[in-house]
Amino acid sequence: MLTPLTFVGDDAALVQALRAGHPGAAAALYDRHAGHVQLTLRSTLGPDDDIPDLLQEVFIRALDQIENLREVDKLSSWLTTIAIFVARAQIRLRARRSWLRLFSPERTRSWQMEQPSSDARRALREVYVLLDRLALEQRLAFVARHVHGMTLAEAAEACETSLATFKRRLARAEKRFLEAARQRPSLAQWLEDGTRWNEQTQT
Amino acid sequence: MERTDANLESLGRRVREALAAEDSAGDMVRRGRAVFLEEVSRRNAVTTERRSPRRLGRWLSLFFAASVGACAAGVWFWMRPVTFQVGEARPGQLGDVVESPAGVATPLRFSEGSQLLLHEGGRLRVLTLESTTARILVEDGVLDANIVHRKDGKTRWSFEAGPYRVAVTGTRFQMAYYAADQSFSLSTEEGQVVVSGGCQKSPKVVSVGERIDLSCAPTEVPAWPRPLLDERPSSNATADNPLSPTRAARGEPLWRELLASGRLSEALHAAERGNFQRVCQIATARELLALADAARLFGPSSRAVAALRVLRQRFPGSMESGTAAFTLGRIAFEREHAYDEAGRWFGTYLREQPTGPLMGDSFGRLMEARLRSGDSAGARTQAQQYLHRFPEGPYAAEARGILSR
Repeated sequence: MLTPLTFVGDDAALVQALRAGHPGAAAALYDRHAGHVQLTLRSTLGPDDDIPDLLQEVFIRALDQIENLREVDKLSSWLTTIAIFVARAQIRLRARRSWLRLFSPERTRSWQMEQPSSDARRALREVYVLLDRLALEQRLAFVARHVHGMTLAEAAEACETSLATFKRRLARAEKRFLEAARQRPSLAQWLEDGTRWNEQTQT
Repeated sequence: MERTDANLESLGRRVREALAAEDSAGDMVRRGRAVFLEEVSRRNAVTTERRSPRRLGRWLSLFFAASVGACAAGVWFWMRPVTFQVGEARPGQLGDVVESPAGVATPLRFSEGSQLLLHEGGRLRVLTLESTTARILVEDGVLDANIVHRKDGKTRWSFEAGPYRVAVTGTRFQMAYYAADQSFSLSTEEGQVVVSGGCQKSPKVVSVGERIDLSCAPTEVPAWPRPLLDERPSSNATADNPLSPTRAARGEPLWRELLASGRLSEALHAAERGNFQRVCQIATARELLALADAARLFGPSSRAVAALRVLRQRFPGSMESGTAAFTLGRIAFEREHAYDEAGRWFGTYLREQPTGPLMGDSFGRLMEARLRSGDSAGARTQAQQYLHRFPEGPYAAEARGILSR
């Protein structure tokens, strides 16, 4: 049945319903959190043809591991953690693919051939080109803090590391990213907006 | 340091905005819902046959032992490129049109084992192809599909035919799509598929032995005979002479005959050669919709807009006129990013066809258009109305997202 009974209740009740096998709980889980999870995947990975599959994987993993969720009112941040975990595996897979692609050069990723259609898309692509150059854990720290806008504590938890380690990774990532970003004219506007905003706030 | 934080905060905000502005995000979530629920349904069915823990443990031991030995080969096998072949020998290229000439069915063989058979007169493109996923665009005609199901359950093939989507994990089925009137049929011989889109309110599972027939066109009697799923297109037409011998006898113009046979691209070119504006003045409402579709798919969207505006002038109050308003909204939204205008067209559809087949989609798209045009209050109102009417609808997740902001 594709449209099961509608589930009604908050996230804590939803977790209980998922554990109890409520027929409408899976649909409710997806409806409430798919947009957020999808944005987490896209903002962590950048352009990636596999995101629809990864979105499925996050929710299937969530269903499989729902018994392990201890703080039932933190369903959303728990899903974020799973999404980042899945994205981490995907980045590793992409690295292996790029190595294997040496032997099949015709399999170039379609997004690499697309032409940016606007300044914003061009700048967005530049951001992910720079993120691709960071070490994996540094990249995840940077994205969690600055792209997802998490607090340091939230971001450390989502990246499944201690706060001290997370801060070290983040500092390295910020330094490397900014050094490279300041060489890119297409990112100047995005970085300067923050400077102007800061100056305006101070005056 | 403070300045650096502000720079990065600004950059992060712009990244979020740029990602949120991408058109494909909402569609991806909506399409994923049907696939996810299908997977949940499949897993629930399997749960009843779950192995006992003792057997499972033994099985796992064997699995780990075998996986160590197979690891290296498995990595290569998993990552190897999937290719396909058209006919007996021609290597397939992503994005290229594959057409079956009259009297000939064209097989497509994929290196991972799946096969398609495109019947005579059919036309398709393989858009993407990965180890477990593929997207096939069926532009017209009848297709037999035999998709190999991977044991890891990750097979994700999707077939797109006009407004319809077919999600497949591994199965055998036959589908037919006729672009001229957007009619769609599918019968499943093995496994099951999920059909979504078109005028349906919700996706439908088509299981083994079942058949589904869909059409967004009005129910008037068609002006020309068209082949059904179990029939084959007329063999009177040939690749060299696309017109049937009866055309001259009926005195029908070339664009009309081509439109009737589903050759949208050729019909559009014929209409353009014969003065597109004049064609729009003599075409029926359904033909104008088909010409607009042809222009959307194969020509400039300005041609589609012209055909749809003429339709609304010549056939005010008809169901086709409502469909034209909806299509104008889609063009404004997807092609021109003119969200205010798109919202007006979706609103027009809802006023003219409050119980029409595109009502749910118009509600959802109106909500998206208001959000994109910066009308947050309007988007919230629309989201509330949408959830009230369609609590499980395809735009429900987005509506809840809007209300939670």
